[in-house]
Amino acid sequence: MIDLIGHIGSQSINVVREIGRMFLFMWEIIISLPVPPYRWTSFLKQVHFIGLRSLFVIALTAIFTGMVLALQGYYTLSRFGSEALLGPAVALSIIRELGPVLSGLMVTGRAGSALTAELGIMRIREQIDALEVMGIPPLKFLVTPRIEAGLLVVPLLTVLFDVIGIWGGYLVAVRLLGMSGGTYFGGIESSVEMHDIVTGLIKSCTFGLIVTWVCTYKGFFTRRGAEGVSHSTTSAVVLSSVLILVCDYFITSIML
Amino acid sequence: MPTTLPTDPAFDSPASQSAPLPLGQQLVANGCVTARQLDLALRRHQSTGGQDESAHLVGRTLVEMGCISQAELLGCLSRQFAQERDAYQVSSDIPPVIRLEQVVKILDGRRVLDAVDLAIPANRVTAIIGMSGGGKSVIMKHMVGLMKPDQGSVWVGEHSLGRISGRELTRVRGRFSLLFQGGALFDSLNVFDNVAFPLREKTRLSEIDIRARVMRCLEEVNLVGMERKFPDELSGGMMKRAALARALVTNPEILLLDEPTAGLDPIIENAIHYLICDTFMRTRYTMVVISHAVPEIFKWSHHVIVLHRGKVLFSGPSREVMASPDPVIRQFIRGDLDGPIQVI
Repeated sequence: MIDLIGHIGSQSINVVREIGRMFLFMWEIIISLPVPPYRWTSFLKQVHFIGLRSLFVIALTAIFTGMVLALQGYYTLSRFGSEALLGPAVALSIIRELGPVLSGLMVTGRAGSALTAELGIMRIREQIDALEVMGIPPLKFLVTPRIEAGLLVVPLLTVLFDVIGIWGGYLVAVRLLGMSGGTYFGGIESSVEMHDIVTGLIKSCTFGLIVTWVCTYKGFFTRRGAEGVSHSTTSAVVLSSVLILVCDYFITSIML
Repeated sequence: MPTTLPTDPAFDSPASQSAPLPLGQQLVANGCVTARQLDLALRRHQSTGGQDESAHLVGRTLVEMGCISQAELLGCLSRQFAQERDAYQVSSDIPPVIRLEQVVKILDGRRVLDAVDLAIPANRVTAIIGMSGGGKSVIMKHMVGLMKPDQGSVWVGEHSLGRISGRELTRVRGRFSLLFQGGALFDSLNVFDNVAFPLREKTRLSEIDIRARVMRCLEEVNLVGMERKFPDELSGGMMKRAALARALVTNPEILLLDEPTAGLDPIIENAIHYLICDTFMRTRYTMVVISHAVPEIFKWSHHVIVLHRGKVLFSGPSREVMASPDPVIRQFIRGDLDGPIQVI
């Protein structure tokens, strides 16, 4: 019994210590932001890596999400004779909820895991130590451009997701189910407000920060060789995904 | 607490340790080349606009002129080094450039360093030897501030690393270059860009100057023609040489080498040792080498520090460690299974 209590106590201390280290890590990044040099090339490389190379998977996810939403929505709304509300139902679901969340999760899966693995390998091969010995702050050099890129790119990908998702809904609702295009888009125009779009963008910025913060943190502090890289990558993806869903709930409840 | 480096009473002054001659004159004194050949090489070197006598004239021009082959040159340098090594004595005239005082480090509950006191003499080659897992790399990481001691202090020159600001630490680190055990070359950069990396990041040199310096360093480690190769396309020996070129390109005062010959075949190992000796004779950097190449490493170092169970078992000239009656040192040098160190 005492062993069990001791185990729970030490695990709790470890969790608190990990949270503290994560916030200290973020604090160091924030204070390094205004300090030159500004690594534009590195930033653009990360925009390309996190953003441009995620385009295909985001587009694919978005179109099928919109299509399935339209299909399910039509089936449900037709029971109440409210098929005309299909456009707003698809658009609001995507703009307020599914766009930011699914974009965040897709970026976590495609780019976040790669960020963790890359930094983890740099750590175990002593490349991060080599940077420090050369007098180049590794946080500023490696982590800051990735977090800045995440903050910029995830909202842009979310906007793209929203557009493609609504268009996917249009394909099913108008082309497949024979609904009027004017009704579909007219409903969207009259029901979607700026507040909905802002809510989606706030969520996507938050998720961009979460993905890059968690994934770079896990990679930066990787230990114990190849197995450590594998462990860091898995825990980065799991933690980012869980944090996205948890934060989504809290942001939604605040912004409603 | 004192802010200046305390002197070590263990260092006393022999008369034999005077400033070394320029390398060209050393080669003449050793009979490796004649005074006339040296003079011709100097003129030729100056006519091509060269200024760095030690690096270029002795190394490259003499070989290019056919006065001496590359192997003969390295042989001459190693003979010269051997003379210096045999004359070396621990002395207060050679100030310790790095000093660890009562350093304790506990990792994962194990006392890796247990009140370690050691001093690294300036402008000499110091070897740190000891059992695997004995804390050698941990000591090296303390020297550059990559690790902080749990107790005790680490001094570089007159700076105590635990008491200086981040900016000062960066300045102190500017005196160092470290050759990591695995090379620590950046995978995404080719050999040229890896070597150029510290210059591009830390200096304002033009790309033309950077290119000249990088090519000179690659020439010194015999990697010309490999500039466009990526680290995963290099053999172990090439990787170490590329990492050595990156370490040398910033002209550091202190060069730390963490197992530079680990995992290499005997010929490449020997070549790396010659390269280190050549680098030392040309530059006179303070060098600290962690090595398992025992007793070979005694040939290539002035000063040897033996670590055992987190403590310094011996610190002194390499010839003395060879003659040490200490059973642990004897066992370590001979590689015997029988003795005070039980591994099986």
